[in-house]
This record gives sequence, C-alpha cells and structure tokens, in this order.
Amino acid sequence: MSAKLSVSNLHKSFGDLQVLRDLNFAIDEHEFVAVVGPSGCGKTTLLRTIAGIETSDSGSVMIDGKVVTKPGADRGFVFQQDSLLPWRTIWKNLIFGLEVNGQLNDANLKNAKQLLKLVGLSGFEQFYPNQISGGMRQRVNLARALALNPQVLIMDEPFSALDAQTREMMQLELLRIWQQGRKTVLFITHQIDEAVFLADRIVVLGRRPGWVKTTVPIDLPRPRELAVKRTAKFGAYVDEVWNLIENDVRASISEDAQAPVG
Amino acid sequence: MMDRASTQLKGDPAIPSQAAPTPATGRSRAKRTPASLYWTSVASVVGGLLLWELAGRFIVKKALFLTTPTQIVEATIGLVAANELQRHIAASGTEFLIGLVIAIFLGIAIGFAMASNRYAKRALGPWVAALYATPTIAISPLIILWAGIDIWSKVIVVVINAVFPMIINTEAGLRSTDKQLIEAARCFGCSRWQVFTKVSLPSAVPFLFAGMKLAIGRALVAVVVAELFGSRAGLGFLLAQASDAFNMPLLFVSVVLLAVTGMVLTWLVGAVERWLMPWRYTAEQD
Repeated sequence: MSAKLSVSNLHKSFGDLQVLRDLNFAIDEHEFVAVVGPSGCGKTTLLRTIAGIETSDSGSVMIDGKVVTKPGADRGFVFQQDSLLPWRTIWKNLIFGLEVNGQLNDANLKNAKQLLKLVGLSGFEQFYPNQISGGMRQRVNLARALALNPQVLIMDEPFSALDAQTREMMQLELLRIWQQGRKTVLFITHQIDEAVFLADRIVVLGRRPGWVKTTVPIDLPRPRELAVKRTAKFGAYVDEVWNLIENDVRASISEDAQAPVG
Repeated sequence: MMDRASTQLKGDPAIPSQAAPTPATGRSRAKRTPASLYWTSVASVVGGLLLWELAGRFIVKKALFLTTPTQIVEATIGLVAANELQRHIAASGTEFLIGLVIAIFLGIAIGFAMASNRYAKRALGPWVAALYATPTIAISPLIILWAGIDIWSKVIVVVINAVFPMIINTEAGLRSTDKQLIEAARCFGCSRWQVFTKVSLPSAVPFLFAGMKLAIGRALVAVVVAELFGSRAGLGFLLAQASDAFNMPLLFVSVVLLAVTGMVLTWLVGAVERWLMPWRYTAEQD
C-alpha cells in the first residue's frame, strides 16, 4: 500500500538554526495520524512545507506520490486560531476555498450545504463569525476544509483555543464526522490525551531540530466514546507518549525561562 | 456518566436545535436606545438655541456682538430669496466634492503603494509624515496664485489637506491585517492579488472609513479657508464679505451651514459604514 501523504528526509534551516532534521513519516489512506511534540519541534515549519508555502532545504512532501510545490485543493486546512474571515457570513466562509480555487459549481455548493448540516450548523448560513461560539466556529473551519473534498485533511491544533468541555465535545464530533468518509487526517496537537483519543497512530517529534523520535500505534476500538478516556489502556498510552517527550518539554521550559523577556 | 446531555454545556450544542435561527442583522439584537435618550439631544439643542436667543435679545442687545438665531434665520431666508445662497453652496459644494473624491482615491492608491512596496514606503514615507503634520492650509494663498481664483485652486487645497489622513489610514489598515488570516488564505491557494482583494482590503475597510471621516473634516475647513484667501463665490467668500461689513447674521449663516454640513456628512459616513460592515455592528456572542 502506497502512502497518501509522505514526508521524506525533510531538512530545513533558517540561517544557523536547524529546524527540521531528516524528518520522515507517512500516512496511509483513511488513516488518522496525530503528531505531538514539545514546542520547538518545528511543527509550524512542517505545516507550512506541507501547505506548499515554505520550501524545504532538501527532502520532499508527496501526496499520492506527487511532490508538493505549491498550495492546492488536495489539502484541506483547519487552523488553531479562528481563521474565519469576520466580514463573511458563515456560508461565504464555508465556500471560500471553493471560490479561490475556481470550483464554485452546483455539485460543490450542494456538497457544502450537506457539510454544514453534517457539522450541525444548518440555518446559520447568514450569521457572522462573531455571532456564534468558538466551538461552532471551529465546526465551520472543519466544514470549510472539507468543502474542497481534499485528499488529506490537515488540522493544526484546532481545539486548543476552546474550553475543556467544548474541546471534549468537539473531539467526539470530529470522530463522528470522520467516520462518515474516513478522510486521511494529519492532526497536530500539544495534548497527548487528545492525540491518543483521536488517532490510529501518533508520530512523536523531538525538538530542536525537529525529528521523528518514534511512532506509537494506538490500538483502541472504533467508534470511540469519551468513556474510553477512563480505561487503563488509554492511560497507558498517554503515559507512554508523555514519557517519550517529557525530557524535551522540560528542556523547552527551562530554555523559555532563560530567554530574555519580550 | 459522561453522556451527551450532561456534557452539553456552554451554549455549544453538539446537536443544535432544529428550529432555524434567525441571524441578528443591524441592531435588532443590540441594546435598544430608549426614546428618552433621543429626546435628551433634542431638548439640549432647543434649550441651547432658546438661551442664545434670550441672551441676544435681553442681555447683549447689540447684533454686532451677539446675533440671535432668529436673525440668522431671517438672513438665510433673505439670501435664499435673492438666489444668493444657492450660488455659494453650489460653488463650495463643487470644490469640496471634487477635492474629496480625488483625495480619497489618491489616498487609497498611495497608501496601497506604501503598504505593499518597501521602496515606495521609503520614498514616500518622509514626505507623508512631514506634510501630514504641516498645516498645508497656510500655503493656500500660494496655490491660488499658481492656479487662479477659480474652483481648481480650491480643489487643490482640499486635496492636499484631505489626502494625508487617507494615505496614513489606508496604509495602517492594510498593514494591520491579521497574519493568521493571510496565512490561512495562502494555504487555501490564494494568489497575492486574491490575498489583497479578499483579505487585506476588506480588513482595512474600517480604517478607510476612519480616514474618510478625518478627510471630510479637513476638506470642509480647506474649502472655506481657501475661499477666504481669494474667490468669487462660496461660503468662505460669503463669510469674508459678511465679516468685512460687520454683518454678523450673514456671517453666522455660513458658520451654521458649515456646522450642519459637517454633522450630516459624518452621520452619512456612519450610515454607509453600518451598511457596508454589518459584521461589526452585530451583537457579539458572549
């Protein structure tokens, strides 16, 4: 089976600072992979390279065996901040990707309507982003990414700005939506329990420069309910991943503490 | 038990209610202003005019030192009957509108150049900074000398006074665009031009309106001052004439007209703003 998304031998430096060193991982079709790592693991650079708005020094990102050189509709993005355009209604935000990629046809618009229903926001078309809650905005973000019917869905800490309760509900919602089509997902997060709960596999990154420490397969039955979070097996996975990055996190904290303020 | 119902908090329903919600448009969801607040403004203006009238009639008595509202109304009616006021308003209005429109478009163009090109910013920056702070109105006589006594000298004075707030606000607006939004737009495959038209420009609109309000104020002052220095018609011309003749009611006709114009235009821009940017005037969800 060939990989849907593959990142091969990726190197990147900014001046003297090496950000990514020989980064390698691959995601199979229909696989949900989470990437966790301490701050300084180069996830922003990795994300920008996959998006095609940053070029690597060497190595490549491939989707279906084709090298990524620029942004394209084969990748759908959901960002950590709320990245909806405040002057556009929910509906206009939803079709933003279709609009800029010249894909505003009847079939796609119909699909977009379906997606809005899928994320539970039918009837909110004419609202502006500031009129709906943070959780609802992230649903729109998800629907916007899916509207392009991308080959790979890339999510960059999508729930980090939400409160703890809403975040749990959104994780559940994401799994529910994902079960429908089982898109290939790359999910970047700082939260280990979130990664264990959502993913088939967790790619653990080391810091400065970013590299793949190890990959942890998560063998938990699907569909998953929130109750799985209180099982011993779940706790064991969280501990395993935490132990892998604990030293790196300590290092990054002490480095932050020593860095001059501002 | 962590079932759906018990975790469904914070107004973020996992399954939103089936009843279609109605979007809040305009201020339907915002707090309504009570009628008593509107009446406070009316009472303030009427009361102020009444005090002015009484003071002019019974305390000062001399029209030279304090003209009264009724005298101003009389003078206005006289001017309208003689077809004079219409001529002055037309002259000033033409100069003002042509100058303002040129200033707005020129300001947006220069502001855009400065926001998007480093060299343009370096080349134009010092001039804009210096001229914005300079009371360029002081060189109006020179411009009348160059461009003559007709409307074009006044248009030029309006432009050089009103263009700078437009430039500065356009540039600031384009620069202040949220980096996250630009990054997201680029990930979705936006070209540079699409980033400008779909992200930077809409996000700069509030700044453009702020610039326009400043430009309107400056343009009004510019028209009148330029006309004071040399003209054949206009509210500034009327003002100069009345002042030379110590005709205070006549002088105040111009002043009141200018004040009312300023108020109406500011209100008009506000109305256009609310119409163009409904997302800024809808109730925020908390």
